[in-house]
Amino acid sequence: MSIFLQACVNGLLIGGFYSLMGMGQNVIFGVMKIVNFCHGEMLMVGMYLTLLLSTHLGLDPYACVPLVAILMFLLGALIQHTLITPSLRTNSFTNLLFLTVGLGMLLSNLALVLFGSEYRTIPTSYSQTYISLGPVNLSLPRLISFGVLIVISIALFAFLKYTTTGKQIRAVSQNPVGAEVVGINAKRIYILTYGLGTALAGVAGSLLTGFYTIFPTAGASFGFRALIVVVVGGLGSIPGAFFAGIFLGILETMVALFISPSYSDLIVFVTFIVILVVRQMIILRRK
Amino acid sequence: MLKVEGLRAGYGSINILWDLSFEVKEGEVVAILGSNGAGKTTMVRAVTGMVRPSAGSVNLNGEELAKKSSRYILDKGIVQVPEGRQIFTDMTVLENLEMGAFSKPTKAAFARNLETAYQRFPRLKERAKQAAGTLSGGEQQMLAVARALIGMPKLLILDEPSLGLAPNIVDDILDVASSMARNDGIAVLLVEQDITKALACADRGYVIENGRIALEGSASELSANEHVKKAYLGI
Repeated sequence: MSIFLQACVNGLLIGGFYSLMGMGQNVIFGVMKIVNFCHGEMLMVGMYLTLLLSTHLGLDPYACVPLVAILMFLLGALIQHTLITPSLRTNSFTNLLFLTVGLGMLLSNLALVLFGSEYRTIPTSYSQTYISLGPVNLSLPRLISFGVLIVISIALFAFLKYTTTGKQIRAVSQNPVGAEVVGINAKRIYILTYGLGTALAGVAGSLLTGFYTIFPTAGASFGFRALIVVVVGGLGSIPGAFFAGIFLGILETMVALFISPSYSDLIVFVTFIVILVVRQMIILRRK
Repeated sequence: MLKVEGLRAGYGSINILWDLSFEVKEGEVVAILGSNGAGKTTMVRAVTGMVRPSAGSVNLNGEELAKKSSRYILDKGIVQVPEGRQIFTDMTVLENLEMGAFSKPTKAAFARNLETAYQRFPRLKERAKQAAGTLSGGEQQMLAVARALIGMPKLLILDEPSLGLAPNIVDDILDVASSMARNDGIAVLLVEQDITKALACADRGYVIENGRIALEGSASELSANEHVKKAYLGI
């Protein structure tokens, strides 16, 4: 029983990252109807940024999070303005597919050139600290990270729900023609959205550095899982992405515990396919 | 108030509007009539800056707007209720109305304008917290009109307000439009396929055929016109 509880908690703690990644992907998809295939690489960039900031400025990895968020937002805004917005005009899915996949390859290879292929960590005094809560042991950095990302998720909900800019983002994603009619500047919203999505991925990367190794392809598995989260949770749905992420994390940890860690990727993707097929069957049945 | 001269516009290499000229005065309801594909919606898009006209002039109270951005034109007071309503279905009625306040002056006057809009359409006040997609077609059209009113129009353009609505609801919406023209001095440009209803509400009208003005005159003249009777009213 205590092993089961422990696995649940560990799943929850890692699932929060999938949620954060999925929500970033979903904000971008909602507004521009594009799949951001370099989302995982943005997480990796966030990791290396944290590494740089903590080694050169001597900052604690968690103190780097706000800085990483700002830098990643600017990077995303720049990419949107110079590359994606012009490509959107061509109205071609393949164009954007090649663009975002290519950007991802460029970024991970750039990391390889700049930092080499070795696995890096950011040592902290509390990296091996555990907190006992009844039968469950909680790793302190994982717990802090989870706390921070819950706060960020709530802030994202609130931003989209209550602020004027958040409402404009929702307006563009629901009805681009209506948004144009009321005078919302779509290009500005695109820049904000891509910046926001990129910042969320970067923050996820930054929060991972407390207990995860940093390497040039570290983002790939998170990028794939973000796609699963988006599809399972519903394209464009922020709460859907949040819960799908948590579900995915728990599922993965359970499989690793009760079957074998080497099967966890396999089971995750099989579950993904099963969900897709079942959902399609339900939709067809309804018609 | 609005004077359009020699307006020419289209999409890419395909030209749709050929030297369109018309005028709307303050406090007037002017109908732009025509069948499907005559170029009515392209005209709306060209006047509001959503399509850049290739030639001609769009003049609002002496200011030339033909080459300006849609935001600028909106700011100057040309607000449209677009064809198919284009409301934000997953947002609440109130949030939809908030989106209508785009410029600084409209934001500042939002509370007052919201009250006026609710007085005109009490149904919207009852449903303020409801998702706009759950409203009936008529209520959605009211919401689209109310959203435009929040933008404090000098010229209000209604593009096919009758589309898909019951006749009595169309009457309600046209009543609101003509009362605004008469009492608040707003100019209304009513773009319609339903010519009987449009001419019952309008002061004057223009008939567009193949992207050109084919006829113009007062509402009664047009109703009595043989060509209009034959081609549009089926009499």
